[in-house]
Amino acid sequence: MIEIKNLVKHYGDKKAVNGISFTVKDNEILGFLGPNGAGKSTTMNIITGYLSSTSGTVKINGHDILEEPELAKKSIGYLPEQPPLYNDMTVSEYLTFMCELKGVPKKDRKEQIDMITSMVGIDAVTGRLIGNLSKGYKQRVGLAQALVGDPPILILDEPTVGLDPNQIIGIRNLIKELSKNHSIIVSSHILSEIQEIADRVVIIHHGKIAAIDTILDLSQRLSGTSKLLMSFKGPVKDVIARLKMISGISDAVVRNAGDLSEVEISLATKAVNDVRINIFFMMAKCGWPILEFRSLDPSLEEVFLSVTSS
Amino acid sequence: MYAIFKREFLSYFRTPVGYVAAAIFTFISGFVFYSLFSTGFVSISNEIITLCSLFIVIVPIITMGMFAEDRKRGTEVLYYSTPVDLFSVVLGKFLAALALFLVMFINVFIHMIVVSACGGKIGIGAWGSVLVFFFMAALFISIGLFASVITDNQLISAIVSFVFIMVIQLISVIGTYLGTFVSTLFSYMGLSADKRNGARQAVQNAIGWFDPFAKTSDFRDGIFSVSALVFCISFAIFFLYLSFRILEKKRWSQK
Repeated sequence: MIEIKNLVKHYGDKKAVNGISFTVKDNEILGFLGPNGAGKSTTMNIITGYLSSTSGTVKINGHDILEEPELAKKSIGYLPEQPPLYNDMTVSEYLTFMCELKGVPKKDRKEQIDMITSMVGIDAVTGRLIGNLSKGYKQRVGLAQALVGDPPILILDEPTVGLDPNQIIGIRNLIKELSKNHSIIVSSHILSEIQEIADRVVIIHHGKIAAIDTILDLSQRLSGTSKLLMSFKGPVKDVIARLKMISGISDAVVRNAGDLSEVEISLATKAVNDVRINIFFMMAKCGWPILEFRSLDPSLEEVFLSVTSS
Repeated sequence: MYAIFKREFLSYFRTPVGYVAAAIFTFISGFVFYSLFSTGFVSISNEIITLCSLFIVIVPIITMGMFAEDRKRGTEVLYYSTPVDLFSVVLGKFLAALALFLVMFINVFIHMIVVSACGGKIGIGAWGSVLVFFFMAALFISIGLFASVITDNQLISAIVSFVFIMVIQLISVIGTYLGTFVSTLFSYMGLSADKRNGARQAVQNAIGWFDPFAKTSDFRDGIFSVSALVFCISFAIFFLYLSFRILEKKRWSQK
């Protein structure tokens, strides 16, 4: 469990982080979003003890990062934006070194390294120099390093950068798997990825929290009503008139003006009951075929844009 | 600390740094030994004292990347985000460099064996010089380490430690010049010759106090002084502690 209260970080006059507070519960994945320069990496660096905050507290499983740094740091695995790798070491030398740094007992080291390397899929390259590995492998060695010592909390700054689509899916599944017994903070620029894995999302902007909630709640809160998009063949005016008669539909707007042989229309509905069934029967009765029907709930992308552009 | 020591020490031999430093040392020490040997009279202390002037070249090569390299490749974060103590990081790196000197010094041990095989004597003075060499190495490495902490740039770090070591090697000369300067200044102010000489002497002594070479010059004759060793060690500890504090402070100020 991570508790962050009123975190402030000044760089001279500039406030990089300005009063951030949030909590990450046990076994939860928290997505960490924000435009470049919003203070994501700074916050992550403060949580891991790499930077010190100007004011505010960070508690890792009840241990303050400044007052009990050793206990707090023992519970954290950190993968920074640039993986901290020594190019002149082989993967297994490096992981052994990390075991020594994190104080893993000698007898457990081999077992742990074997487990981690097979988990992140680098067991084929353990004998190779890190400097000779591809970017994707380096990223995974960085992830392996974070897992050394079996810390209950993982802080991952853009863990899938530089990976190919297959590897991204692999790492994503690994993170999901890890979340069964780890608290994880993941930052990423790829919003669909966060949408896929995170339980909750924190969006920060200009060093402040702009939004914090589950993705579903965020998108509904943002739009108030949910939206449907329908395309069909039929007389536009008649359809709109009839649609408005169906209870639950508050508005219907034609989206394409030109070619009216196939009309696209967006419907604002009060998300209480599903109006799609009523629409279907009404359209079928009148003989107007529906060609497409889909929900227009804002994606995380739209939420992100609307929260950070205001 | 042992983990850091081991990694750093081995990394000297994974990169050209260790080999370059060892090659320079081997070449120069071999040359010095050969020159002495060809005269038919070898003094190991003389060889070691000559080699002490090599610090100015070798120490910057060894220490310039100590922390600068970490920042460049992003491994610095490990020292802060793992449970390892920051001072033990500094100490580990320092001891690794000292151990590299021990490896290079094998040359001199071989020379000692050659000397005694040829019927020469390795007196207590020679062992005194060995002691001086390593205490001096500790002092200069701590300066190099400090230079590596204060800048992100390896070249600047090398230049800073080079200049620093040069100043210490020339400190008695600098003291003499400053003493003369002060006495000239006083002569313009119309002070008597007695006072001028007194002032000159005082300045010379004060600056000369920092000269580790003068302090340890008796060791080669077998006259050991604990205060000289304490001087070198306190100097080294001072710079190591300073480096440690600067690294700690970076957490508060870096971007």
